Amino acid sequence: MDKESFLTRVGEYQKGGWRLALINATTVPAADEATPGVFEVTWAFAKDLEFETIRETINQADAVPSVSDFFGAAFLYENEIRELFGIDVTGLGLDLKGQLYKTATRIPFAHSAVKARIEAAAAAAAASAKKA
Amino acid sequence: MANPFRLPMAPRTIRNLLSRPATRRYPTEIRPRFDGARGTIKFDVETCVYCMICARRCPAAAITCSRDERYWAIEHLTCIGCNVCVEVCNKNSLSMSTDSKSVHVRAEVGPEGQRPGHEEWHGVAPQPVVAKA
Amino acid sequence: MKRTVIPFGPQHPVLPEPIVLDLILEDEKVVDAIPTIGYIHRGLEAMVERVEYTEMGFVVERICGICSFMHGMGYCLALESIMNVEVPDRARWLRIIWAETSRIQSHLLWLGLGADAFGFENLFMHCWRMREEILDIFEKTTGGRIIHSVNRIGGVKRDISDSELVAIVAKLDELGKAFDKTARVFASDASIRHRLSGVGVLSMEEARAVDAVGPMARASGVRLDTRLTGQNLYDQLEFEPVLETAGDCLARVVVRMREVRQSIDLIHQMVEKMPKGEGLPLETKVRGMPSGETFTRLEQPRGEVVYYVKANGTKYLERFRARTPTFANVPAMIKLVKGCDLADVPNIILTIDPCISCTER
Repeated sequence: MDKESFLTRVGEYQKGGWRLALINATTVPAADEATPGVFEVTWAFAKDLEFETIRETINQADAVPSVSDFFGAAFLYENEIRELFGIDVTGLGLDLKGQLYKTATRIPFAHSAVKARIEAAAAAAAASAKKA
Repeated sequence: MANPFRLPMAPRTIRNLLSRPATRRYPTEIRPRFDGARGTIKFDVETCVYCMICARRCPAAAITCSRDERYWAIEHLTCIGCNVCVEVCNKNSLSMSTDSKSVHVRAEVGPEGQRPGHEEWHGVAPQPVVAKA
Repeated sequence: MKRTVIPFGPQHPVLPEPIVLDLILEDEKVVDAIPTIGYIHRGLEAMVERVEYTEMGFVVERICGICSFMHGMGYCLALESIMNVEVPDRARWLRIIWAETSRIQSHLLWLGLGADAFGFENLFMHCWRMREEILDIFEKTTGGRIIHSVNRIGGVKRDISDSELVAIVAKLDELGKAFDKTARVFASDASIRHRLSGVGVLSMEEARAVDAVGPMARASGVRLDTRLTGQNLYDQLEFEPVLETAGDCLARVVVRMREVRQSIDLIHQMVEKMPKGEGLPLETKVRGMPSGETFTRLEQPRGEVVYYVKANGTKYLERFRARTPTFANVPAMIKLVKGCDLADVPNIILTIDPCISCTER
């Protein structure tokens, strides 16, 4: 992702009086074994009745810049995507140091964790179908 | 600044002192549940064809069903009472009763008909007096 | 000056829900607060991987016990917009009737908890006694007091007969009169005023800066209400969001009190305007698998909720995300707690109406 132009766009939203409605990440699994999966990160902004989003597709190794400078409330979302998805965020407004959630799996929405869960569910379903 | 000597709650407090309590003396007095309230799942072994739709659609995976063994069981503690199994049942074998959830943990029906799994451990719950509606 | 760290929560007498704030104090003043949640993180969002999209609605409803109806409704609205399902008219009206009823329920619950937090036990009981009447309405119409499970993708499962609707409106009117008497206590009691007035002031600029939503923002004078978008038939109702300008704890109480009255009025209008008759269609059959993504916004009792659903053409959704109002209000809460007295912390936290189950999912 192009950090410069991304931050410029976010800055324009902030100047235009928009508020940050949501920062969301999605684990997008790979189409085949060879390529690693990616994450879709979405910044959603709302102003009165309007709702707009910025979408970036990032790799596991990439870091996303924090928008805390523009929106004070962003730190919570950013800590969340870092803890649940393992996406590195640079320049966090308030770094909670992995203390926000207490989860059994360390990074529950990482590609490996999601894959393991889906496989476990499929195995359990197959086992119960066999029993029946 | 509000007047500190004004006591807006006082009239209500006095009225409450003189009136009957708003609460019921549970468990000797139970409010009858409304018609159509969701309570416990009841199962009719005679009509069931063990099609397993209920087991597959249950969001909480509380129902276990086996066609070969002609076996049907529900974990009452896992059941969330959403009524989906009752809606999807083609044979109307399942019904929702308004009884509130009992202490029964599990109900099973096996090949030889009614078999009350853990229910007998608890015995029959004492039946409280139900207030007239 | 020497700094003291006081851990606040997860078990605290005024908090029904587990949130931890590490309060850093200088003398009696809070200078910083660091939140930790995660004590009731249940991973409901991850459940979309193994729960089919038709059943996921019931799971979503269980995110929270207070806005349960709205969560179910929001999930169904999101799926309906992905799958282009036309919902029958009567079902849409019934949904918002239940939604407004649950708003009354939620606000009464909160007013009770608020009263409990500043030590007015008697008022707490009165609020909850009124709430019980609403729960009775819910049990009668949906079959459940807290978890309603009437929303399906494509409509609702149960109908409320026209005579029953009239009875509900009459009951709500009666409730409104009883509520006015209780509201008078909130408005005029000296001890309440003393405890809440001028405490935790969030100015309009600050409310915008920390992206506060719901009654929190409206108490600071920000005209922010997702119902204003006119979605879900709200464009057919006469309605103006309740605004207060003081921005302190008392203003947040007053906003919620006035919203109870407003919701009763809205239900009046809804019952008047909805299509009448027996046996009207309530549900559209949904076929096929969803594919696509959507954002849905709703106004819950606590504020704006945003749902994000991404479906990939299979029976399992790829991603479901609920950004609940408390999640958006936590930065505002931290902002308010900084600089206040330690004794005011419980009141400030409670006036954002925190729902940690919602926040963590």
